[in-house]
Amino acid sequence: MHPPENKLTEDSQIQQMPNPKLVSVLLGQHIGAVCSSMVQKKDKVQFGQQIGQAEGFVSAPVHSPVDGVVRDIALQSHPVLGREMAVIIDVDAESSIKPLPNGQFTADFDETAFSDKQIRDAVRQAGIVGMGGAGFPTQVKLEPNPQTPKEVLIINGCECEPFITGDYRMMMEWTYQVIAGIKLACRGAGCPTVRIGIEENKPEAIARMAELLKQCSGAGNMEVVPLKTKYPQGGERQLIKAVWGKQVPTGGIPPMIGVVVLNVATCAAIADAVVNNAPLTHRVVTVTGGAIANPGNYYVPIGTSVQDLIDHCGGLTENAAKVVMGGPMMGLAIADLSTPITKASGAITFLTEETITKAKYERRQTACIRCGRCLTVCPEHLNATRIAHAVKSDLLDVAQNYHMTACIECGCCSYICPANIELTGYIKTGKILLARAKKRMPK
Amino acid sequence: MLSKITVSPSPHISKAYSTRGIMLDVIIALVPAMVMACWYFRAPAIILIVTCAVSCAATEWLCNLIRRKPDSVNDLSAVVTGIILALSLPPNLPAWVAVIGSAFAIAIGKMVFGGLGANVFNPAMASRAFLTASFGMLMTTWTVPATIDATMPVLSPAGADAITQATPLNWSKQAIKGKADAAVVNEQLMATVTGSVGGCLGETSAIALLLGGAYLLFRRTISFHIPVAVLVSAFVFAAIWYFADPTAYVSPILHITGGGMLMCALFIATDPVTAPLPVKGMWIFGIGVGMLVVLIRIVGEYPEGVMYAVLIMNALTPLIDRFCKLVPAGGKTHG
Repeated sequence: MHPPENKLTEDSQIQQMPNPKLVSVLLGQHIGAVCSSMVQKKDKVQFGQQIGQAEGFVSAPVHSPVDGVVRDIALQSHPVLGREMAVIIDVDAESSIKPLPNGQFTADFDETAFSDKQIRDAVRQAGIVGMGGAGFPTQVKLEPNPQTPKEVLIINGCECEPFITGDYRMMMEWTYQVIAGIKLACRGAGCPTVRIGIEENKPEAIARMAELLKQCSGAGNMEVVPLKTKYPQGGERQLIKAVWGKQVPTGGIPPMIGVVVLNVATCAAIADAVVNNAPLTHRVVTVTGGAIANPGNYYVPIGTSVQDLIDHCGGLTENAAKVVMGGPMMGLAIADLSTPITKASGAITFLTEETITKAKYERRQTACIRCGRCLTVCPEHLNATRIAHAVKSDLLDVAQNYHMTACIECGCCSYICPANIELTGYIKTGKILLARAKKRMPK
Repeated sequence: MLSKITVSPSPHISKAYSTRGIMLDVIIALVPAMVMACWYFRAPAIILIVTCAVSCAATEWLCNLIRRKPDSVNDLSAVVTGIILALSLPPNLPAWVAVIGSAFAIAIGKMVFGGLGANVFNPAMASRAFLTASFGMLMTTWTVPATIDATMPVLSPAGADAITQATPLNWSKQAIKGKADAAVVNEQLMATVTGSVGGCLGETSAIALLLGGAYLLFRRTISFHIPVAVLVSAFVFAAIWYFADPTAYVSPILHITGGGMLMCALFIATDPVTAPLPVKGMWIFGIGVGMLVVLIRIVGEYPEGVMYAVLIMNALTPLIDRFCKLVPAGGKTHG
């Protein structure tokens, strides 16, 4: 499937975003246990200071991106969880600002100066999580697994979502840092080979990564794999299939077949964490869409509110209608502009009325005519219409019989549906209902 | 500024087409067949097509009114049903019969099941079956196209009335009974390609139907699976009889070009509502339709089998769907 790419910010260099007046660092920015706060109201915090304690193995600590004073520890809007506790910090006027990478990484970067244990510890302490969107704690992925030895580290440079360009800019501008991060991750995870998957619609990134890899020492096991441009090529399971030819079993995860997948942004963060001991406090965010005055790629303190980003980017246009954390295919529409950027928010897309609304007649959901387009586009070979209708009829067992939980929520079925049925929405609802029924999730 | 934020599940963009667009594509694809029908059968063809399309749309509107549902005439599916029904009627059918047929197609064939997307049987074929049962004589009387001379000898197979027995399939039935020579019928091949033979309004011209089908395939409104399955299975199945006895059985090519086979393969069996969803199911469905059509034509009492073949396979569709459940990309187990 090929939704329009709309990479408006393809040529915008990554720019520094100045510190906002207030940041809200959410204590749950990752998959896994929510952090406990290590600070109290009115405490002074410093740039890089740890403020949230990881709880358990699958968790990641959080750090302050600024110098300031804790105003409160309170519930804050969360793009995924609805509401979650956050450390709200008043930013000092003279707070230090994290600079953009200064080119400290070069072709001769030697990752063997760090032991694999050192690398994993640094990644854990820096609170690095998957920055492509899911936010899975990275050190868990790197952890050695005696049952299934790791075969390959796959780097996700697909960026198949429309509009988003952050990973592309990082591959173009921070190439050596990204490569250094890949080398470190490879060593940390103990993978014998590395494959970097990049979609063919980014030929410059493919050329630049391949060329600089050639100049790097000790990159003989690394290779750039150009991939067909299609959505969702960058889905973890689709990427593994395309790059390594292996299929992750239904309900399984990549480690089961000896594969580690990391996103480009995560690799850049790993390099920073291991070499500079810098915790994950900033990330590249693509601010894009037809409804924002100055779209671009910004290096943003994690915890900055969407409203602050809007103000920094020249405000919204008249016809702004929807604010999406992430890209238009998988991103989450938010209702509250005070929602902060998290470690996993790679983009904010501001969509116009015209983009989200089709002709008036077409807006109405009509009956499924069983045209089968949702089956044709599904990358996981699911019967979206059957699952959605089962969920609608509250028949979760039937939905699960059609492998509802195998859905990766890429949104292809809803995108293509001529009857405007929110198939992905129904399936997501069904998954939540099922999880509740299994009492995995509180009511 | 942002006065109102829209919140909805992802994705937040969608492809700009609709059910209405699909139906419009089908109507466009049926234009060549409609033009040929009007060319060969003149005024009665125009009257029938317009009558069926309008009365189908009117019935849909009325049903929605009675059911207190939002009007759905706009999605054009009723018009498509009307046109397909008209094209599968004999040209001389009185308009009032067509109105009854249209009302049946929409009211009983579709709306009683819950409207668009919920019907079990193809509404046009259900209605045609109803008309055949109710107006048997009218439904099997064939006028010859206005463009050819009805007295031409080749059109009068042994002892048959040229006016009422003019379709190639009727001749092939005669051939099976030994009352006509299959080889003579085979000579009609060219006529069935252009459409210069007796038969249902839109089914006579193979070339017009193929043109429309090509458009649908090009626009990806239909997938190739069902048409290919229907045509190949019908061809292979008919060929078995043909090679067994070429004097009694007409050539398999004539089975494809003659009668409603192409109409069925491209426009009727491909109705998504009443056909299976998975590709494997489409193959089974198509092969079933193709074989049943030939079986009815050759072994059954009727010269034409499209209608019943489609209805029978429609009835089997839920079973086929269940039988051909998709296997997820990562295998069957789930955690």
